[in-house]
Amino acid sequence: MRTMLTPRSVDLSITNRCNLNCTYCYHFESKGNSGRDLPTEDWLHFFEELNRCAVIDVTLAGGEPFLRKDFRELIDGIVKNKMRYSILTNGTLVIEEMAAYIASTKRCNSVQVSIDGSWPGPHDAFRGEGNFERAVAGLQRLKAQGIPMTVRVTIHRHNVDDLEAIARFLLEEIGLPSFSTNSAGYVGQCRSHSEDVQLTIEERTRAMETLLLLNEHYNGRISAAAGPLAEAKHWLEMETARRDGDESHADCGQLRSCGGVFSKMAVRADGEMVPCSQMSHIELGRINQVDLKETWQHHPELLRLRERRTISLADFEFCKDCPYIPYCRGNCPALAYTLTGEENHPSPDACLKRFLEAGGRLPERRNQPQQDCC
Amino acid sequence: MPSSQALIANPLIVLREEFDDWAILFDPDTSHSYGLNPVSVFIYKRLDGKHSFEEIVSELRSECQNAPDDAETDVQQFLDDLLAKGLAGHAAQQR
Repeated sequence: MRTMLTPRSVDLSITNRCNLNCTYCYHFESKGNSGRDLPTEDWLHFFEELNRCAVIDVTLAGGEPFLRKDFRELIDGIVKNKMRYSILTNGTLVIEEMAAYIASTKRCNSVQVSIDGSWPGPHDAFRGEGNFERAVAGLQRLKAQGIPMTVRVTIHRHNVDDLEAIARFLLEEIGLPSFSTNSAGYVGQCRSHSEDVQLTIEERTRAMETLLLLNEHYNGRISAAAGPLAEAKHWLEMETARRDGDESHADCGQLRSCGGVFSKMAVRADGEMVPCSQMSHIELGRINQVDLKETWQHHPELLRLRERRTISLADFEFCKDCPYIPYCRGNCPALAYTLTGEENHPSPDACLKRFLEAGGRLPERRNQPQQDCC
Repeated sequence: MPSSQALIANPLIVLREEFDDWAILFDPDTSHSYGLNPVSVFIYKRLDGKHSFEEIVSELRSECQNAPDDAETDVQQFLDDLLAKGLAGHAAQQR
């Protein structure tokens, strides 16, 4: 298996702190919430190593990255070290001055704001009162500066019937070129509130149907790497392949998802390197103490995760007698870990066979516009 | 480019080596990237303001046993392309 000499991108949780406490936050109640934030100089020193490794871009996340008082200084360090950056934010702390500063760097790939409704009710239900208005105001400030923006809609039980209005609000009223969706997954704080937050089988079926229709209506401006829209598209392909008796699809039949460990890694707020911010329990060593390139190329845990794509799905009892094996990649290792205790296991949450056995139905096949998917 | 004048790689551009001696040049200000084959990487790494055109071609010939007879033309075209794209420039003259 070919691996890049160094990661192309690195996700940085620059703070554990957040001004919100969203019910389904993946960060809190995970190993990623590691208590201590690194001081400015440690991050700046690490950015120099990223430059030496020719890392192209970083994603700044948290916690809430706009809480860092040294946020400008960190961005300056990224720019000085010849990288570009993206930001994941709840949007509530974006002030005009900071938006203007981000625009002035000309190195920002995008700012992703989380918005979960077309009106305060569905958004504030899990993110706290007043935060819909604050997030939308933050989004408008970014837009006014011409910063590339995107919105991530996390689908849950309180907004699953608001999807049409959400699409109209974001694409028509706000005027975004596109937005992305996922759904609240069984990670972090969501594990303690699963019944209130996570979609039932019936709601999941409805969300898939609605999102396919909306995506067709808006000509592919809704994307998804996970959640109901991604599942609808992928599962329809799998079902068609099974029905037609297709041979195995390329890159299927083994634990091929996801490819992140071949191009990306992450760093927790305390400076511990991890394979992915969703797999913050796998500790690879501290930045500025261990060599990034050496870790990337030789750490046994990263090698183990990369080897996962050689593991056949047919070897799992979980997949026994499944007709979809030739068309399946096993899905997210982080979700597999939270649900089974093993990263190198198929994820039960994204299993088509299980979904159908639980009473789920696939939507009608539609001609979907092309878009990126993991 | 006068053949004796040394070129220097644009210091704002990132040379990112990924697999098997192949690489990309990445411009963080524009997001543009350009693929380099192993021979191009060999040449690009010698754009240090000290190697003349003749020296680069000479090193290339000694490193690559099957270098074609018209290698100079190919190297010149590559360097002209880098100059045109702003990925390299002429080294400042010492006074």
